[in-house]
Amino acid sequence: MKLPIELSKDSREPIYHQIENQLKALIAGGQLAAGTSLPSIRALSKELEVSIITTRRAYQNLENNGFIRTAQGKGTFVAEIAAATKQQVKHDAVYQTMEDAVETALRYDYSTDQVEEIFHNIINTRKGD
Amino acid sequence: MEAFAEISELKKQIDDFRLGPIDLTIEPGTINALVGNNGSGKSTLIKLMMDLATPDSGHIKIFRTRTDTSDETWKTKVAYLPQTPIGYNPYTGKDLKAITAPMYPDWDDEVFAEIAGKFHLPLDKKYGKLSQGMQQKLSLALTIPRNAPILILDEPTSFMDIPSKELLMDILTRWMDQGERTIIMASHQAADIMKLTDYLFVLQDGRMNGVFEKDTLVSSYKQYWLSTPLPNTTVPGEITRENQHIISNQPEQTEAFFRENHLPVTNRAALDLEEIIGLLLRQP
Repeated sequence: MKLPIELSKDSREPIYHQIENQLKALIAGGQLAAGTSLPSIRALSKELEVSIITTRRAYQNLENNGFIRTAQGKGTFVAEIAAATKQQVKHDAVYQTMEDAVETALRYDYSTDQVEEIFHNIINTRKGD
Repeated sequence: MEAFAEISELKKQIDDFRLGPIDLTIEPGTINALVGNNGSGKSTLIKLMMDLATPDSGHIKIFRTRTDTSDETWKTKVAYLPQTPIGYNPYTGKDLKAITAPMYPDWDDEVFAEIAGKFHLPLDKKYGKLSQGMQQKLSLALTIPRNAPILILDEPTSFMDIPSKELLMDILTRWMDQGERTIIMASHQAADIMKLTDYLFVLQDGRMNGVFEKDTLVSSYKQYWLSTPLPNTTVPGEITRENQHIISNQPEQTEAFFRENHLPVTNRAALDLEEIIGLLLRQP
């Protein structure tokens, strides 16, 4: 099965990390249910046009963190994960995105006060919708 | 894991062309691309690996056996597709399969049938009467099913159209997943095989320019556009520049330099692997 993973070569986030995080999000969000068979490292590497070194690293991290499991000779599958873990993934993803946004703003020489103002503007626009 | 092949201090001179010294290790489970311009030594290196030419010095080991000794058992562990197979012309695909299959103990008829089917190979037509693209596809169908752990392909896609290349990539991907295997491909058209590659061996004028893991190589190059002119001094990591655009292979140092000197970057982007190879092969 083709996975909805999209890599950004221009991002500062390493490729293996992008794969890892997007798979985590798919698993925590329920798009990939427990027991779903995942592509082999080689097949996913081909799909994403990355090396097996990168894909293997992502799979290893996911396995170490209990998101996927490998059955010898059978392949790789989505693991059963606890509700608390799902919550943690969502929490981390939102926090990371916010932190990245602040980081970008600071790099462009905005002050933290200005960042706060931008944040409020965005929220207020949303509320107004 | 034990290396499938090891090349040590390999040197060969042919007329005024010098290859080497070459040192290389081929790991199981990897797809490796030999990349270089025409005449960079790719085919010479492959011929040396296949014991079709004798090195002036150094040696090659395949599964721990030196290829220059009388022990030729290593030959069953390698399937080799030369750029131009010799002696095929008078035979049909069917004939060639009947000749080739018994020579390889692990020959897989299903893989042959699958490749022949996907490429719509006219197996009753003589090889010499086929188009160059079709010849290449038939040669692949005669090579991949040998199921040797090491598959060496010399310019396997040079006459293929894009859909055929895609099909070949699918075939090779599945083939890799069916055992402890490795592929070594030579190509001067980098784009063809890059999608599939794990490691790149970049050859330049007979020298090994470098061995690179694909994604590490790609992430080590970045390009920047600045809103002010670049300083006249060389920027750390600078590879090439034009007006307010600069390419670096040490992005961290480059970005630190931009920050320290208050040079405003308006855009930052990765480079395509092809562009990077172009830059590697351009450097003196």
